[in-house]
Amino acid sequence: MRKMKASRIISLLLVLVMVFSLVGCKKDSSDSKGDKKGSTGTTTDANGNKKYDKFITVDVFATEANNQGTQPGWFAKIVKDKFNMELNIIAPNVAGGGDTLFQTRSAAGDLGDLVIIGSDGDKLKDVVNAGLLTDMSDMIKTRKNVSQYTAAIENAQKIAGKDGVWAIPKSVSSQPATNPSESGEPTFGPYLRYDVYQKAGSPDINTLEDLIPVLKKMQDASPKSDSGKKTYAMSLFKDWDGNMMNNAKQPTCYYGYDEMGFVLSKADGSDDQSIIDSNSQYIRSLKLFYSANQAGILDPDSATQNYDTLSNKYKDGAVLFSFWPWQGQSLYNSADNTKAGKGFMLVPIKDQKIFSYGCKPAGDKVVVGIGSKAEDPERLMDFIDWMYSTEGIEILSGAGIKGLTWDVNAEGKPELTDYGMKAQYDQNVDQTVPDEFGGGTYREGVSWLNFTPVVASDTDPTTKAPYSYALWDSTIAARATTLTKAWQDQYKAKDTFTYLKDNNQLLVAPGTSYVVTNTSSDIEALRNQCKTVIIDYSWKMIFAKNEKEFNSLLKDMQDTVNGLGYKDVLKFDLKCAKEQTAARQAAAAEATK
Amino acid sequence: MDKAITAPKAKSKKRKAKDQSFKYFLLVAPFLVLVFIFSYLPLYGWSYAFFDYRPPLKLSQCEFVGWKWFKYLFGNPMQIKQLINVLKNTFAMSGLGILTSVLPLAFAVFLNEIKCKWFKKLVQTLTTIPNFISWILVYSVAFSLFSSSGMVNHVLQDLGITTDAIKFLESDSHTWITMMLWGLWKGLGWGAIMYLAALAGADQEQYEAARVDGAGRFKLMWHITVPQLLPTYFVLLMMSIANFLSNGMEQYFIFSNSFNMQHIQVLDLYIYKISMGSASFSLGTALSMMKSIISVTLLWVVNTLSKVFRGESII
Repeated sequence: MRKMKASRIISLLLVLVMVFSLVGCKKDSSDSKGDKKGSTGTTTDANGNKKYDKFITVDVFATEANNQGTQPGWFAKIVKDKFNMELNIIAPNVAGGGDTLFQTRSAAGDLGDLVIIGSDGDKLKDVVNAGLLTDMSDMIKTRKNVSQYTAAIENAQKIAGKDGVWAIPKSVSSQPATNPSESGEPTFGPYLRYDVYQKAGSPDINTLEDLIPVLKKMQDASPKSDSGKKTYAMSLFKDWDGNMMNNAKQPTCYYGYDEMGFVLSKADGSDDQSIIDSNSQYIRSLKLFYSANQAGILDPDSATQNYDTLSNKYKDGAVLFSFWPWQGQSLYNSADNTKAGKGFMLVPIKDQKIFSYGCKPAGDKVVVGIGSKAEDPERLMDFIDWMYSTEGIEILSGAGIKGLTWDVNAEGKPELTDYGMKAQYDQNVDQTVPDEFGGGTYREGVSWLNFTPVVASDTDPTTKAPYSYALWDSTIAARATTLTKAWQDQYKAKDTFTYLKDNNQLLVAPGTSYVVTNTSSDIEALRNQCKTVIIDYSWKMIFAKNEKEFNSLLKDMQDTVNGLGYKDVLKFDLKCAKEQTAARQAAAAEATK
Repeated sequence: MDKAITAPKAKSKKRKAKDQSFKYFLLVAPFLVLVFIFSYLPLYGWSYAFFDYRPPLKLSQCEFVGWKWFKYLFGNPMQIKQLINVLKNTFAMSGLGILTSVLPLAFAVFLNEIKCKWFKKLVQTLTTIPNFISWILVYSVAFSLFSSSGMVNHVLQDLGITTDAIKFLESDSHTWITMMLWGLWKGLGWGAIMYLAALAGADQEQYEAARVDGAGRFKLMWHITVPQLLPTYFVLLMMSIANFLSNGMEQYFIFSNSFNMQHIQVLDLYIYKISMGSASFSLGTALSMMKSIISVTLLWVVNTLSKVFRGESII
């Protein structure tokens, strides 16, 4: 009897499990188009008419976003007030797995209502051909902000390869293509813990390899981090490895190179090298890391940690070298540290020629478009148009909300408020936002789209100053600390960019909107096989026991990828590099006209 | 006359049998449908291997390329060398798995000998639990123990035994053995469950008879317990041979890094990396198709062998 009961219960349970597992297959329609939150909030347009009656949730496929979920805080409030909608961010960067999320979503036929993707590698073309984007040709005519960027729109149209306005590029600029697009600091550069560097006697760094003895001295001068852990001068991570080991690409940028597949192409077009050549800049970087490991200044965690773990080490002051200002400086140069004279600053290598991305009159390769299944394309068009308005650019590319983080001062110049100063620069405090602006904290409320419609160094027509607060004189004056003063004294320059320009250590790649097209699946399959081999061997080479092992691993790597068919991929990449160089030269000629 | 009466009777009997069998068919139908949906319908996906598939485009918009991807796999000596290396790893890991498949049996036999009930239960529970821990968590435990800043290295350095961190995880020495040990730690208790169940139904009279004949504890184990478990063992063994090529990928995926890739990359991981990791879906499909064909062949071979040697087939 008892047995029977038990078996009955079990069978009942099994039936239930089956039913529920099948229910799980049902498409959840309420999730994506979420009008479940009945809302009373309506928005009025300039004439006071109700414009957007229905509250909607917009799914945004945001390639560059680093947060996933519903956008919170002050930016959410702006979007809600203006467009009566909320943004549900879908972020491939958070999901991980490279292009997997893009592929699965696009294969399912719906990327999102608002789509931000890279147009390179035929992605935009394929998405348009697969019918995933709305043609904005008619809608855009009445939108005066975004429609003025005709060159950018035409260029995106050319890339899409089909009549119609499908997407609008980000980071459009009205500056000449030969102007650097960065503001304040370059994208790449040898950033050292400046205080420790001085403690070690500020030795000269004539070329890349001199970094090793200098860093060794620095590590000896500062053996313990702020919390008492062991310091390593250099620490690497593997998350961003792509065509090659990402970290090893960075030092090549100090000499004016940037990657184009397996090719390192110099900004001025004077050199294109295959990364696996024994005398390439890439192998030079690997050798640098190898020597660092031999000298005992390379973090043994390098091969296993990710960017986040490493970030914590930077915050603790356990790493003394950074490839980028936006890593070392933003993580360690807090108000307290800089006041105490501690922090990362660019310490120039004498023969460097740092790669800089020129401004792109026709915009970047990342574009924004409207999904073909979007519920209210007109409203999304309005939203895109707003992003390209002065106010939108100020918020997305510039200093934030006028009246909160910045304002125009008595002399008619823009200036960060005290609040803005802390919000933008002090990593230790996350300030609360007044309720009238949406509440929450400032940093969590920043736009998760990570989309800059216009380059930050462009001029704001209303303030006649750059959008970027880092370039305002008032900011530079207010930011002077013990650290920056010491640096200015030694290098006799106002800021990093000025120093690099004065000493002819900057190599600007004229900004073009060139993207790689006509990729073939054979080449891509081969590329993917080769790149895993290259990355695996790169890491092994860094941790090789001796020079002999380093060289034999290098030889193995070259033999393996050559055997797989590396040459075919290289041929394609070289062709692209040549095309890009031609485009750069054309852009430079256009700029000097 | 007789005939006339019996004929309709037989007919109705036949119809009744027919009705009956239709009823039975209805009973199994849901399961047949499930099997069809989950096991045969997905085979439609094999068609991707013959196209040049690029995700945003529909299959109909992609070019038909025939056997191109199959040829690509054997396109040059280096491709074949890589494939051979992957197969070598697969065979090694599966082979080690089969070699150690006697351990759960031995474990069950010894566990069965423990007379103290609560202790037996405790051991069984503790050894079964690891099976329910996902490989991701197993790796995080391994990481906090064996990474360069993990506990083991800390202890060694604090005791002054080593000065530099030993890289347990980022080394390629004895990769196959370490992977087998992790697998064993995770699966030993779980693998023994089947044998313990078989032992629960063991004929107690045989033990009594043997005891009367003067058999000691080990004699009992060897001559009675083990023979009772052998049929179960062989069925499990055959099944694992049929699964020779699919040794899963979670474990190897999570433990893999640039340093041990040479010896840890098994076929499933290779397919995953080609299709999901680098978006060559068509190539990945072609590769996994070949895997299925080889697996079916292996199963057929094992089944034939079983028929020849044991006189019974397993499927």
